[in-house]
Amino acid sequence: MPAGFRLPEPSRFFIPHPEIEGSAVARQRLIVRLLAYKVSFTLLVFIALLVIFQVFTPNHTFFQRPNLFALARLAPDLGIVALGVGILMICGEFDLSIASTIPMSSFVFVKLLGTGVPLGLNLVVTLCVGVIMGLGNGLLVTRTRLPSFILTLGTMLFWKGLLYAASRMMPIGIRSWLPAGSWLENMFVGIIGGVFPIQAIWFVGFAVLLAVMLHFTKFGNWIFVTGDNETAARAMGINTNLVKIISYVGVGVLCAVVGMMQCLRIESFTANQGVGFELKAIASAVVGGTSLMGGMGSVLGIFLGTLTIQMIENGMILLGLPAFGIGAFIGAVVILFAVLNKYISRFSTR
Amino acid sequence: MKKRVLLITAVTLLILLLVPGGAFAQAKPGAGMYFRLVTHGANDPFWAVFQKGMMDAAAELGCRADIDLAGSDLALQSKRFQEAVAMRPDGISLVINDDKMWDKPVADAVAKGINVIGCNNDDTQGSAGNARLAYIGQNERRAGLMIGRAVFEAAKAKGWNLATMKVACAVEVAGANYGVVRSSGIMDAMAEYGIPGKPEIVDCTLEMTTAESRITSYVIAHPDLKCLFGLGGITTDRLTSGMKNAGKKPGDILGGGFDAAPGTLTGLETNYMVASIDQQQYLQGYMSVYVLYLMKKYGFAPQIDTGGFLITKANIDLIKKLSPLNIR
Repeated sequence: MPAGFRLPEPSRFFIPHPEIEGSAVARQRLIVRLLAYKVSFTLLVFIALLVIFQVFTPNHTFFQRPNLFALARLAPDLGIVALGVGILMICGEFDLSIASTIPMSSFVFVKLLGTGVPLGLNLVVTLCVGVIMGLGNGLLVTRTRLPSFILTLGTMLFWKGLLYAASRMMPIGIRSWLPAGSWLENMFVGIIGGVFPIQAIWFVGFAVLLAVMLHFTKFGNWIFVTGDNETAARAMGINTNLVKIISYVGVGVLCAVVGMMQCLRIESFTANQGVGFELKAIASAVVGGTSLMGGMGSVLGIFLGTLTIQMIENGMILLGLPAFGIGAFIGAVVILFAVLNKYISRFSTR
Repeated sequence: MKKRVLLITAVTLLILLLVPGGAFAQAKPGAGMYFRLVTHGANDPFWAVFQKGMMDAAAELGCRADIDLAGSDLALQSKRFQEAVAMRPDGISLVINDDKMWDKPVADAVAKGINVIGCNNDDTQGSAGNARLAYIGQNERRAGLMIGRAVFEAAKAKGWNLATMKVACAVEVAGANYGVVRSSGIMDAMAEYGIPGKPEIVDCTLEMTTAESRITSYVIAHPDLKCLFGLGGITTDRLTSGMKNAGKKPGDILGGGFDAAPGTLTGLETNYMVASIDQQQYLQGYMSVYVLYLMKKYGFAPQIDTGGFLITKANIDLIKKLSPLNIR
């Protein structure tokens, strides 16, 4: 096990059972061990949904190429942002302002395109927009010590107001300045071999990178400890403010990437980009087993959680269920996982 | 001599200071008038164009005009209307987005001598259902009928069997008045062309990726789908991408919708879309100010239908030229 590794869930869950011996004990240990990880439930539900949707969709369209292509092309938008938001939740904080960071990054990107800034420089500046907005949130939360839910709600409204004033809410197409097939487009929204959307690779890449950071580095440990018990973390000498600020900056950068990605894919800036992502990202993290109180969660869980939520939307439409019921079903799933997580927490800390 | 020059200069300066600037310039006809436009709109591209029309008209007439954007909050819109009435402006243009709620407030305001006209959305009974003095806006049902006719005519030209044709409508806000009335217009067109049943409604939300994702899933799930409408600007914008994601070629499914967002124009150029309706909301803002001015001055009370401009591949260049100026 690498140095600094920390289990994503508490490991005090094994309950010795003297009557059961030998392989039965080993089996019980394994099952209990697996179930004590919240992500196990997400994984089980994820697999169950895959089977249900494949079996019950008319003509078994779920695993057909167009559907998988669409999922791989569209799911990363929310998925990439949810990874950052989930890690921030493990750190004990929320960020609702992502719904403004995404369109703001997209707006700056399009404006720079219009002024003829080279693509490489444009990319860097757009990412810096995410850094600045994330940094602002981080400083605000750590300096005021007020609930991040309220503060980032405020920054969301503030940035959105500025964006509305600057853009007048008009969509801006990119094709006047960026012909199709540029290296930036190929890099972020290209289709490998004409069959595989590159966004999916970015999503998996970010997930792996963040999983290594969260579960295999000292900084990842600091995130867990900060979210679990900030006072104790400070007593241990961890600069919790810095940990939070870096986490917020991370969310900002991921939002900037998604803002740019969306803009390149839909070939325009629209001020509606990211509307509703702030709550969907939180829902994804919760479905993935992330604690709303901080200190618990895993990148694998968030990854599966966001796929589960988007798969439910997709699968329900494929099943031909009434379109108006999708929101209700997703809401029920989020509640179910929140309740489930609570019971698992009790069980695992007994 | 020197004294006389100084005296003439001083008198000239005094006259310049005392006489209002407007006396030297051409006096604008609406100077001193104030109008208020109370809407349920939000900060979005549609209302930005509406607002631009209002500001252009106010600048031309030399009057003052303000807009309230209540963000679809009916209670807030009602409050804004009451505030506007309390200000006693020279006229109010109101989005009448509820058949009952606006009956008394509008009647009371008119009884107080304030000119109230409807814009963008009217009582379904028109002047019979509400005391508003005039109306400027798109007839949503007729707009739905027009886009329906355009798309079904294209389907007919392809030789498709209209009697078995599947039709669907994607909408941003499920149950919203605009979607309900527009889809009713599409149903009227379906009846005209002998297409049985009702269009299936796909709830897409206001977010671009979610809308695209849901449209894609719907198209995949319904291989027999032949005509797909976007009932609002966002869903219409995402129709083309949704069809492409689902592996459809231009002409496999005929698309139609509303407004002229970049994705919609791409769809028209690439033949995924047959047409889109421009309700010319610039005119709704612009004409609101002009009608209120003329009503105050001469008592005119017209009914103006601004809608029904069909954007097709043939006239797309005009839209592309005016769109960045917030006029289309």
